[in-house]
Amino acid sequence: MATDGVAAPIAVRSRPAWVEGLVGQLLALLASLGIAVLAGSLLIVAYGENPLEVYSSILDASMGSADGIGYVLAIATPLIFAALAVAVCFKGGLFNIGVEGQYLVAMVTAAWAEIELGFLPGPILVVVVLLAAMLGGMIWAAVPGILKVRTGAHEVVTTIMMNQIAISLVAWAINFPLKFSNAPAGQNVDLRTDQFPEGGLVGDLGQYFGVTPGAHLSWLLFLAIAAAVIVWFMIRRTRLGFEARAVGASPGSAKAGGVSIGRTQLRLFLISGALAGLVGMQQILADRGHLPQNYVVFLGFTGIAVAFLGQNNAIGIIFAAILWGVLSRGEVALQIQSEVPREFIIILQGILILSVVITYQIAKRRLAARQLQRAGAAGELDDSAGPDDEAGPRGPEMKGREAFEAAEGSGT
Amino acid sequence: MPFTDIAVALQISFTYFTIIYLTGLGGLFSERSGIVNIGLEGLMIIGTVTGAFGARFFTDTLELGLPWGPILGLLFGALCGAIFAGVHAVATISFRVDHIVSGVVINLVAIGLARFLSSAFFNGQSTQSDPGGPHLDRLDIPFLSSIPGGVDRAFESLSPMVLVAAFMVVPVWYALNRLRWGLRLRSCGENPEATRSLGVSVPLYRYQGVLLSGAFAGLSGAFLASEIIGNWREGQTLGLGFIALAALILSNWNPIRLMFFAWLFGFATAIPLRLNDAPVISALPPQFIRMIPYVVTIVAIAGFVGRVRPPAAAGRAYEGGGGV
Repeated sequence: MATDGVAAPIAVRSRPAWVEGLVGQLLALLASLGIAVLAGSLLIVAYGENPLEVYSSILDASMGSADGIGYVLAIATPLIFAALAVAVCFKGGLFNIGVEGQYLVAMVTAAWAEIELGFLPGPILVVVVLLAAMLGGMIWAAVPGILKVRTGAHEVVTTIMMNQIAISLVAWAINFPLKFSNAPAGQNVDLRTDQFPEGGLVGDLGQYFGVTPGAHLSWLLFLAIAAAVIVWFMIRRTRLGFEARAVGASPGSAKAGGVSIGRTQLRLFLISGALAGLVGMQQILADRGHLPQNYVVFLGFTGIAVAFLGQNNAIGIIFAAILWGVLSRGEVALQIQSEVPREFIIILQGILILSVVITYQIAKRRLAARQLQRAGAAGELDDSAGPDDEAGPRGPEMKGREAFEAAEGSGT
Repeated sequence: MPFTDIAVALQISFTYFTIIYLTGLGGLFSERSGIVNIGLEGLMIIGTVTGAFGARFFTDTLELGLPWGPILGLLFGALCGAIFAGVHAVATISFRVDHIVSGVVINLVAIGLARFLSSAFFNGQSTQSDPGGPHLDRLDIPFLSSIPGGVDRAFESLSPMVLVAAFMVVPVWYALNRLRWGLRLRSCGENPEATRSLGVSVPLYRYQGVLLSGAFAGLSGAFLASEIIGNWREGQTLGLGFIALAALILSNWNPIRLMFFAWLFGFATAIPLRLNDAPVISALPPQFIRMIPYVVTIVAIAGFVGRVRPPAAAGRAYEGGGGV
């Protein structure tokens, strides 16, 4: 076959890979949003309500007023940190499900710094406390990181175990070294740390935008956005980011190209831990002012969901966290004015995240298959082996998948 | 320290053994078929809420009474666990979503789903049900419970499910090692391509493995809620699904060794509840004892003691047909 005749239409069709990737991601996101909204509508109808009314009341509760937006952003703040922590590791082919444990330990180190170094003047104390939190997260992330690099212990299993250890560690800290010094004698009704010094808390941001102080919107939001920008820059524009992407995409090629896989992965784990350390700060520095026994859990795991939703893109994560916040805040609307139970929101988030992981997976495969097919048509890969046995109604797709397999096999 | 304390701690450890072992067996079926399942905790959570509901529903609402009400309740928990595990199966087997990603999502969704189900089952109470649900009559194990000197306490008034779990090792071992079904299931987890070349449908066996994992984890959750606690409470699984995962890893995915580690971790969990005054232990904060199973697992995984060898193909996406 004449190569000219094939190459010409291809040149017309081909868009830059990143455009195609972005379009694919957006389509997948829209599809999964559609699925979630549709499934949610069915559920709402089952409760005998009008889906349009319910959805608009959810949006109204979260976006309809300055207060609502303040609550949404306050919910999004820790989720941005958590999702960034997950995404940084993801870029290097690592799965840090230990963000959960890392932020718990960071809350302990931050609380310790607040209480032990409370004599420091306000702004310095806050900076020191945030650093202590990042350090706590890094220490907890260093264990699975070092074990991964040194012994090959799979980071998923070690981080799961570290999460469980962290839960006991927090319980120990508020029972022993950091126990509330003015606790009423006898029963431990109020199990928590001492109240932190006033100067050690993060200032309220909502007051400048007419948001109620009850939302606890804090300066940490700006820190979260700054962190997202820094992570974006690191991944896209620095050597470490380049090496991380190389390791994540193909460890073999990265190694052949002179990248130290172990060192890159350990660094990613430490950065991830530092980000994870900031997850709990909204809660203890802006909201509660102490580390309580009934601290909010699962922010780390929710961060994984938000990272998927934002497709591990630092900027996408900001919007994903806000979307998550919009839904979470929508609970209030259901509580007040609907037959639909408030748990509906969690179900909606669950359906959304399930359809997101599935549609992204499909989009990723389609994209890889198409790129390989094109590479094959351009003559780099012989794809003209004739009609396939399995080629039924899904013929072309099967072909693409097999090309994908072939490439995967040769890549490793 | 009175001797009976040790006996009572043993008795508690049998209960925890049951929970950890049943859940661990669930993970065993799934991972032996090649699908990593870190969603065991979530599957257990679904088992707790549906099991607690089932026990009440079959016993009181349908007036089946003892023992059929609680038994059907346990089976209902297992059924719902299997159905929920179907989500993991569809995502990982048919859509080839990363097993860890899907497992995390399972754990995340389970908490919300449990609240949702709870408010539907228990008149809008979303975080607990009324205490004092029906359960099976307690059992004294013959012979062992008549040993004098306090030891008998260990074997008195146990749930019959403890015996069911302990004897479960026989059919599980036989199925995995002697039945064609079990050999095929295991070969799907070791070398799916070779298995397929023999004409065995890998996705079919993997679906069975994952659904079984849901059934066992669901049964375990139902046992915890309806037999032990007597009602559903949010967070009552206390990470036991992760302890089961730890025991499974240390057992090298072997149902007999899993018994030992399930009991060992069960005992470790019972220590802070009953043996607080014992020498050495009294000097340690109870929180440190709770860390033991996880620390042991990390040490083992890092290869400092023995060798951990998971099924060769576990966690790997299998491309050979059956997908979407």
